Amino acid sequence: MSVIDSAIRPPLVTGDKSYSDVTADICRPLENKPSRLWWIGFIISFSCLMILFATLFWTTWTGIGVWNINKSVMWGWDITNFVFWIGIGHAGTLISAILLLFRQKWRMSINRSAEAMTIFAVLCAAVFPFFHMGRIWVGIYWVFPIPNAFGSLWVNFNSPLLWDVFAISTYFSVSLLFWYLGLIPDIATVRDRATTKVRKFIYNFFSMGWTGSVRTWARYEVVSLILAGISTPLVLSVHTIVSMDFATSVIPGWHTTIFPPYFVAGAIFSGFGMVLTLLLVARKVLNYENYITIGHIEAMAKVVMLTGTMVGLAYITEFFIAWYSGYEYEQAAFLNRMFGPYWWAYWTMMSCNLIAPQVFWFKWARTTPWFVFMLSIVVNVGMWFERFVIIVTSLHRDYLTSSWVMYSASWVEIGIFIGTFGLFFTCFFLFCRFLPIINMAEVKGILKNKE
Amino acid sequence: MFCFSTTIEKRNLIYGVFEDEEKLMTTVKQVRSKGIKIFDCYTPFPVHGLDVAMGISRTKLSVAAFMCGLTGFCLGLLLQFYTMIFDWPMIIGGKPSDYHMLPSMVPVTFECTILCTAYGLGILFFTRNKMGHGVRPDILDIRQTDDRLLIAFDTDDLDENSENEIRSIMNGNGVVEISNYKGAYADKKLTEGGAHA
Repeated sequence: MSVIDSAIRPPLVTGDKSYSDVTADICRPLENKPSRLWWIGFIISFSCLMILFATLFWTTWTGIGVWNINKSVMWGWDITNFVFWIGIGHAGTLISAILLLFRQKWRMSINRSAEAMTIFAVLCAAVFPFFHMGRIWVGIYWVFPIPNAFGSLWVNFNSPLLWDVFAISTYFSVSLLFWYLGLIPDIATVRDRATTKVRKFIYNFFSMGWTGSVRTWARYEVVSLILAGISTPLVLSVHTIVSMDFATSVIPGWHTTIFPPYFVAGAIFSGFGMVLTLLLVARKVLNYENYITIGHIEAMAKVVMLTGTMVGLAYITEFFIAWYSGYEYEQAAFLNRMFGPYWWAYWTMMSCNLIAPQVFWFKWARTTPWFVFMLSIVVNVGMWFERFVIIVTSLHRDYLTSSWVMYSASWVEIGIFIGTFGLFFTCFFLFCRFLPIINMAEVKGILKNKE
Repeated sequence: MFCFSTTIEKRNLIYGVFEDEEKLMTTVKQVRSKGIKIFDCYTPFPVHGLDVAMGISRTKLSVAAFMCGLTGFCLGLLLQFYTMIFDWPMIIGGKPSDYHMLPSMVPVTFECTILCTAYGLGILFFTRNKMGHGVRPDILDIRQTDDRLLIAFDTDDLDENSENEIRSIMNGNGVVEISNYKGAYADKKLTEGGAHA
């Protein structure tokens, strides 16, 4: 095995770093006192988290009548937000698993934070269907096949909603394991640098006795590969099953066979949008420009452009099929989306998801951090509106005109949504403070840019 | 910290510290060609091909993963067959509650397969490596998780000749330092061994 500095590829880590530089740079935010900026961010996030607790308490205490959902629009902001957060999670698994299988080495400095984002996003997502059940204290019997005293009333395995329970809980558990496994060698590094007794104890506890023995590394690599191999179909299955919540119904606008691939592309699109939002800030604040380089940003911008165009293609295909099917309810549903009372949501979605990412055809747009950051926010907004359009515009015009209603969120629903951002960012700030956000071991392995 | 005796505490080791994985790799190959047994190598990052160079056989964890997956597959199917078909068949929305529902069993069976594979594999991985929360790590040199690569030899496997040989190989490959590690229970083991002999 020989080391060859590639002549044609730019280095993945710039700044001519040595192994110990990598350790020192990445451990710095963990070992120093948190900055003022960290405290400001953390306090704002934590306040939003308190809003989450308050609004969820109010929902449970009073009942879900405090939400503005009604018998026509029975899914509103809650399921919109659920799909929004689940979609965001998908980028983490895509980066860590699918790019591992494709041997894309640029994933190595972003996979840790993207996986963390997955886990936090799935947590946020789980809040919504759980509290939508209303009586959460008996809800556990409705979603899990637990022996019970209600005449052995089991869950219904014919329902896609139940498939979703299995898909999401498996996704969360497997992502957590994958993330933790990747963290162990780095926790060991932090452990061996720890100076205080408390830090030594905690990092020792979580490093599980890692030594870096070659036998362990050999097994670790095999286990990572297998986990990546099973996470790849898993992540595809999760959003496929989420899309089946809609696609297996007979609601015009939902009853579409294109949904599974369309939802998966949308999930990757929104996930990369959120990864860019987080990492563009993190690389600046933590001085990680040498690890998360312009090359990384450009690669992610390309993924955003590709998946955004795929999603746009799906929008247009749906519209075409509605016309081509000759099914008037389907046609009415799609015309209503475009020109009905929620036209503004539809056109926000179209312009944010299909049109805006096209600027990434230009190299300047892909390689200018502040511009990519703005675009990533646009993508996040656009993908939220996509789910809102799919859910609300399909429901608010029912078959009977007497059931036609309008829907807008109540303060409680808005509060819960803001609150999940609080949960997400509180977790992310704590993660940045206590765990290395870049995989040190893997980055050390690519320092010499072996090809 | 915690009182688990570890693998290296019963041993006396000689270890060389390297800065570069290529030099370590060359050392491993040369030492192996002399037929000297290597106790272990410690690296802060995965060095590809080092396990092959050390002659470590490929782990069978992938076979174990398949078995775990198969178990998950069966458990998932069993759960759905039992609840939906045998114990309390329910017809909801006119959908079947017999073997005709096999297609709608696919998603849950798939998820159970993945879950059992991942966690089965994880548990086996930690067991196989003797890893667990609170286990005291076998750290020879504090830099082995930072920027140094270690190669360690058990003194029981060495005689005077081979010890000189490994020292000269390591020096020839630019070793940074060569040190000794004396396990806390190493001498105890020797006296016990002596008593049995």
